Amino acid sequence: MNVAAKTYQKGEIPGVIAIKASACKGCDACKRHCPTGAITGSFGATHSVDVDSCLSCGQCLINCPFGAPYETSDTVDEVIARLKDRNTTVVGIIAPAVRVAIGEDFGLPAGSLVTGKLYGSMKKAGFEILDNNFAADLTIMEEGTEFIVRARHAVFGEKSEHGAEIGPLPQFTSCCPAWVRLVETKYPTLIPNLSSAKSPQQMAGTVAKTYGTKVWGKSAEKIYTVGIMPCTAKKLEASRPEFNNAYEYNKKNGRALTDKPYPDIDTVLTTRDLSRLFKKLKINLAAEKDADGGSLLADYTGAGTIFGNTGGVMEAALRTAYAVLTGEELKPLEFKPVRGLKGVKSASVKLKDTKYNKEVTVNVAVIHNIAENIKPVIDEVLSGRSPYHFIEVMNCPGGCINGGGQPIYGNGSSWLGAIRPLFAWK
Amino acid sequence: MEKQSYQYIENPLHVTRREFITIGGIVAAFLALPAVWIKMVTSSNNNYILARTKGLYRDDEKASIRVSHANKSVARYYKEFGGEPLGHLSHELLHTKYINRTKGLS
Ligand code: SF4
Ligand code: SF4
Ligand code: SF4
Repeated sequence: MNVAAKTYQKGEIPGVIAIKASACKGCDACKRHCPTGAITGSFGATHSVDVDSCLSCGQCLINCPFGAPYETSDTVDEVIARLKDRNTTVVGIIAPAVRVAIGEDFGLPAGSLVTGKLYGSMKKAGFEILDNNFAADLTIMEEGTEFIVRARHAVFGEKSEHGAEIGPLPQFTSCCPAWVRLVETKYPTLIPNLSSAKSPQQMAGTVAKTYGTKVWGKSAEKIYTVGIMPCTAKKLEASRPEFNNAYEYNKKNGRALTDKPYPDIDTVLTTRDLSRLFKKLKINLAAEKDADGGSLLADYTGAGTIFGNTGGVMEAALRTAYAVLTGEELKPLEFKPVRGLKGVKSASVKLKDTKYNKEVTVNVAVIHNIAENIKPVIDEVLSGRSPYHFIEVMNCPGGCINGGGQPIYGNGSSWLGAIRPLFAWK
Repeated sequence: MEKQSYQYIENPLHVTRREFITIGGIVAAFLALPAVWIKMVTSSNNNYILARTKGLYRDDEKASIRVSHANKSVARYYKEFGGEPLGHLSHELLHTKYINRTKGLS
């Protein structure tokens, strides 16, 4: 057991990932995937997770050949109970990466895009749908605008409208809670560089319990929000005590029915958790009919959906920032330099800021798989030599589509499958 | 109690001796050939990563609207409720502050 947890606030889940001693073979494979060296134990001995440096990203979990790491938080049965309670409106907040992975748990080929079937299955289970891609679009509006403000401040000395403080460049994205936690636990001097925009999941929870009360005609107390994420770190993120903005807002405006605070996101299920929930409710996603989202909170754009890929947030932000600054749409919309699996991708965009009638060059970088790629980029920023203005960081290799909450079959656990024939085992 | 960093468990595998030796062999082989090992693992991983990546780009390509600032429902959110990006309500509801966790919180 982990005795002292010094890097968690009261109320937070102190580490979502633990290793089951009886299942661990001490093969060291997980260590190669851990971004922070949080796994201790020598080769051949039972390994364990140091919760204080662990980011809860779950990469060890999806890559352990023996299934030893597990999630300490499992709320599948609790969500089923809420779904059965007629007084509660259960809102499922579906992340982009879920729709191209959950099919694998129901026998569909990897990468099958099953948005319609997923909506259908969720409705059958009793969920209302808030597509997190809607919140991703909202994130772009906030984070993209924030970048423009920071850039104009740095380049043209523009002051903020409301006298609010303007953060420095480069601006880092803040959608990935494992990355945010890495900054908070290892590089606190970079905190001002993080975008202040909350992640799409947390925006979605707040919107569901404020604006959403009008959309669904339910009071916030009766709305139960479930993040459905490719990600184990999202479980930790949702438990951060400051994320009860909807409650604070409703209380301030006389809209709280009781004094009992509620979090913006009540609980989080991973893609794997949702598959289990469907199976418990005897819903076969693969055989489900396509359905639509059912409310304006399920409307999303192509920019919102690519958030799940490495480079996606940057591409979506550039599409919008370019349009705002130049008054024209980016052409072509596909911004290829930030796509693909290269560790650090970078690009320069020349554009004209119509407000100042000046040419500016925006240098962007995209980093994924922080276990291998983050160090040099951070060192540059810390020493003030970074050429970049805007940097996207995602913990997991490939981005959220390969997150720690995604289906494992054929992924991490395929190691053994791939190697077995060589050794003619069995 | 002192923290245990080593813990040995008798035959926790529930596999036959022969299988155990085979796994041992696999592990040893991995250690001996890390380059081959990593290549194999990453290439099998990459197939999944690439397939899912493609799925999302396809979702983007087939979308009728492909830029966030043209999302009509987001515009409606701002008009009916949220005001404007980075506006007063946005700061209250959609932005946050971060915490220096290097100092020991609890
Ligand atoms: S990969 Fe799994 S079995 Fe191997 S050391 Fe890590 S937790 Fe233990
Ligand atoms: S969850 Fe991530 S940070 Fe934590 S031990 Fe596993 S790989 Fe390392
Ligand atoms: S990259 Fe995505 S899935 Fe991985 S930890 Fe970050 S938010 Fe979670």
